[in-house]
Amino acid sequence: MLNYFYRKLSLLFFITFGVTVFVFSLNFLFPTDVLSNMSGIPNIGEEDYAALAEQYYLNNSVIIQYFAFIGRIWQGDWGVSFITGTSIYSQVFRVLPATIELAIYALLYSFIVAIPLGILASSETYPWLDKSILALSIIGFSMPIFWLALLLILVFSIGLGWFPTSGRLSLIYNIPSSSGFLLFDIIRSNVDYKVEAFFDALRHLALPTFVLAAYPTTVLIRTTRQSMKDVMNTSYVKAAKAKGLTSGQLLRRHGLRNGLLPVIQMLGMHFGTVITLAMVTEVIFAWPGVGSWLVDAIHQRDYPAIQGGLLVISGMVFIATILFDLLYMIFDPIARIRGHGKI
Amino acid sequence: MRLLDIRNLNIELITNDSRIKAVESANFSMRMAEVSGLIGESGSGKSLIAKALVGMLNNRWHVTADRLHFMGQDLNRMSETKRRKVISDNISMIYQEPRRCLDPTSNIFSQLEESLPDYEFSGWFGAKKELRIKKCIRLLHKVGIKDHEKVFNSYPHMLSEGICQKIMIAMAIAKEPKLLIADEPTTALESTTSLQVIKLLKSLNQLKEMGVIFITHNLVSITSWADSINVMYCGQLIESGLTKNIINAPKHPYTKALFDSEPDFNARDINNKQKLYALKGTIPTLQHLPIGCRLGPRCPNAQRACVKIPEQQKVKGQYFRCHYPLTDNWKKA
Repeated sequence: MLNYFYRKLSLLFFITFGVTVFVFSLNFLFPTDVLSNMSGIPNIGEEDYAALAEQYYLNNSVIIQYFAFIGRIWQGDWGVSFITGTSIYSQVFRVLPATIELAIYALLYSFIVAIPLGILASSETYPWLDKSILALSIIGFSMPIFWLALLLILVFSIGLGWFPTSGRLSLIYNIPSSSGFLLFDIIRSNVDYKVEAFFDALRHLALPTFVLAAYPTTVLIRTTRQSMKDVMNTSYVKAAKAKGLTSGQLLRRHGLRNGLLPVIQMLGMHFGTVITLAMVTEVIFAWPGVGSWLVDAIHQRDYPAIQGGLLVISGMVFIATILFDLLYMIFDPIARIRGHGKI
Repeated sequence: MRLLDIRNLNIELITNDSRIKAVESANFSMRMAEVSGLIGESGSGKSLIAKALVGMLNNRWHVTADRLHFMGQDLNRMSETKRRKVISDNISMIYQEPRRCLDPTSNIFSQLEESLPDYEFSGWFGAKKELRIKKCIRLLHKVGIKDHEKVFNSYPHMLSEGICQKIMIAMAIAKEPKLLIADEPTTALESTTSLQVIKLLKSLNQLKEMGVIFITHNLVSITSWADSINVMYCGQLIESGLTKNIINAPKHPYTKALFDSEPDFNARDINNKQKLYALKGTIPTLQHLPIGCRLGPRCPNAQRACVKIPEQQKVKGQYFRCHYPLTDNWKKA
């Protein structure tokens, strides 16, 4: 168990190395001046240049520059934005919780919806149910989410007026930010309009969560359906059935545990896609997350910000992948003995 | 009262374009506490009958029977849930592939524990649990596993095939069933433990009145023990009767061929490099079954009438399906 954890951590180390090398090399690849990219100061005058070059070890070899870069990242000195001139580190970590919040709720939602539907679809007693669930999932699978998002806004926000079109919270509520996760912040705050603010936040969450969850839900439905079909056909489930277990016991003790293993794996694999989709969703719903922030940075050619966003998003994906792997290992005893260096 | 009485059992495999009769009109009956051997080549449908009995076949298989009585109860007339209850309470099975019949993600203890019946233990919750643990330990000791602590906490992939087989046996005898179906239970075991297992099954048979269907192709292990023998060929149950009658006076040519193909090394009449007896040809595939008596193309005595499936005949308690049964009292050389 510990050994496995250590193996995963060492994998994380090497991936981090690769990503930091890539991000570091972007300093040289972006069209503006190297020193500007590193420091975030757009036009450096002649007099400051030498001092800054000294500070960023620009006169030393690339390797020393790289380690200096790592040191700066470690200390939280990620440079300043070309546009606003504020620290990128504080900007990124201010917008990151919104994205994490959205992604977690979307995954949770898709998990809660997709697993029962997948199990229902896998049952051989109701073939019509299987067909209709599959058809639904095909529709969800093939519909581009920006279009789905616009349709939903058109119907539920503009047409029916049930949900707000954009943002995280109505402007009339002022919630002091402590953790950045809005729902927790609201619960922990001491304002009078706590309940109203909470429900307002939920109403703001509803559409983006649904849009973002559409893709993982359909993938999970199909994975769950297939793997439950496979598991319920294995000899051990049939043998357990012959022992006299009821259908519920069968599902709980043997079916789910084995059937959900590929689902956990799938969830881990698709986390990266979900983050990409989250960026699209954030832009459409004006959700103040790292995705829309990064898209803005790209539009404005804000190179230091692009580097910071890249670092944070890739780090998030790795950590999520490794977390899902650990989860997988907890459920599958065979995974614990598998060989080294497997992602 | 008969323990098991099956008439005209058909097991069909439904494929996209046809229905293949994997087992054709088999009649099978057992007295209480009888040991019945089911022998035949691999692929002859022995395991299929066993799996159909415990309800392990999925819905690609279609099972029908004119009569299906178990301990006087008509299983055909029961609802699905009731039938499952009767079967799971009274019949258990030792499977051929032990590793594949154990759940890879849960440990041995929980799997062994769930095959214990619920009603047997009384007392409050904690005491009940303790009793169940003790019972599980006893079961493992019974099948010859001494290190119960270690095995309890293991997962199937950590154990050898032989130990998995023993665990399967422990699970099968956990609720002291009235009928135990042993589908080649000793193939994965080394010979000493296989003897132990057979001894254990024998004692359960005598002490607990447990009927046993012993499926095997090892003729030696069956003839010494079984009360009656049923011979299968290619999905047809061709001959059944008491063991000594079947050995001494088989009526069906295939039964004779089966016993002939077992070389008798005690007799002195085997010469150096002598060709051993074998029936010519191979068992046909399920897609190309011959009509009528399925042994027809290979049978040394086949004649024109053999294209019709022979009716079951009974001579001195021996059932067989053959148009031209062997009549002379053939003795094993």
